[in-house]
Amino acid sequence: MRNIIDDIEIRAREELFINIHPIQPGGRLTPEAMKAMIAYGDGYSTCDWCRKPFRLDKIKRPPIEEFHIELAEFLGMDQARVVPGARRGFQAVVSSLVEKGDSVIVSSLAHYTEFLAVEDAGGIVKEVPLNEKNIVTAEATARKIEEVKKETGKLPKLIMIDHFDYMFGNEHDVYGIAKVAKEYDIPFLCNCAYSIGVMPINGKEIGADFLVGSGHKSFASPAPSGIVASTKEWADIVFRTTQMIGDVTKRKFGIKEVEMLGCTLMGANLIAMMASFPAIKERVKHWDEEVRKINYLMDEFLKIEGNKVLSEMPRKHTLTKVDTTESFDKIARTHKRRGFFFSDELRDRKIVGEFAGATRTWKLNTYGLTWDQIRYLAQAFQDIAKKYGINIIK
Amino acid sequence: MSEKAVREIFEALFALTDLRQIFRETKPTYKLNDEQRKKVREIVESVRQSLDVIEKELIR
Repeated sequence: MRNIIDDIEIRAREELFINIHPIQPGGRLTPEAMKAMIAYGDGYSTCDWCRKPFRLDKIKRPPIEEFHIELAEFLGMDQARVVPGARRGFQAVVSSLVEKGDSVIVSSLAHYTEFLAVEDAGGIVKEVPLNEKNIVTAEATARKIEEVKKETGKLPKLIMIDHFDYMFGNEHDVYGIAKVAKEYDIPFLCNCAYSIGVMPINGKEIGADFLVGSGHKSFASPAPSGIVASTKEWADIVFRTTQMIGDVTKRKFGIKEVEMLGCTLMGANLIAMMASFPAIKERVKHWDEEVRKINYLMDEFLKIEGNKVLSEMPRKHTLTKVDTTESFDKIARTHKRRGFFFSDELRDRKIVGEFAGATRTWKLNTYGLTWDQIRYLAQAFQDIAKKYGINIIK
Repeated sequence: MSEKAVREIFEALFALTDLRQIFRETKPTYKLNDEQRKKVREIVESVRQSLDVIEKELIR
């Protein structure tokens, strides 16, 4: 296959392989998004019809303003903005609410960008411990709030908890945590990077003050892209407009939102999100089927003697952590290719996306695979096991 | 050179994108069902027509 230029190769792994990469499947583009990339790739492509008041989310052609309104409705929130990745959503909220020395409650499985957003604002993260099933509960969150209050004499300024975490793909009790947040009158940001765009999410039903989503993780969109949504109670704070006036020129840019740094996600990335949106609205209705597929796969996976699933079972998410220390890793210990034997075997079967060389604990994600592909995958794991004499439990 | 030829470039690219999607849905065995085969035939025909228009507009 020819390269685009020099050393930039064509990326055709989605056409040639079953890709089980833990964080890639939900961001795989729809055909509509791919078409948007073709037509809107030029730098300021979204700005052809930008008219007063000169702000991205007010552009009517293409219908960017309408998309923002519909996106907020889709999420059960009052206002939504697109941002360059979920991390910029965390940053916008944290920067608006947190001051130097303030505490922010996060999960013990929080994404590192939540830490960075808090650090950037001068805050201090306080982690809620996990229970024995690697779940963040409402009770543990309440205990942590009490600890922080006792330690600092102040309540945390924000609670920021992941709906599904990146490590196990476990569901955390965000509904219960939202209630706790209300009881303490602390705003609650629900990190839905692994849920918005793949399953139905309604911020009001959760009880969240803010929702953050990821375009490239779960909204069939290119990187970087993301969503930050707010209730009307907080929108004026997080989406506040600039008050700054130039001392020499007296210039002011009143309509521009400070946390968004004016216009946010321009060009092909935004249009691709918009182009994927109808398919997203449809696909979230079929989340149950995606969950059925991963549970089928894990049932077959567990028939390989020694295999374990480290994520909660039955699975509630397609992102799953497994342990093959007592199966494939036993082979790796004496194989000349060590752990890479497993990657080689998978690749020979046109499967990629596992952490190359890992045969102890590793993650996979089956989102968007067809039933034929799921069955193929299950068979491939068992075929590799059989080839190396690992028993398949009937 | 005409607007027609430019339009056909996008028609062809979009049709090929739909074909790309069929590869994605059927990998790694590429066993197409009847509906997918029909769609491939339609895509190929549509791209041919677009190329004909482009050729006619730009070269002939």
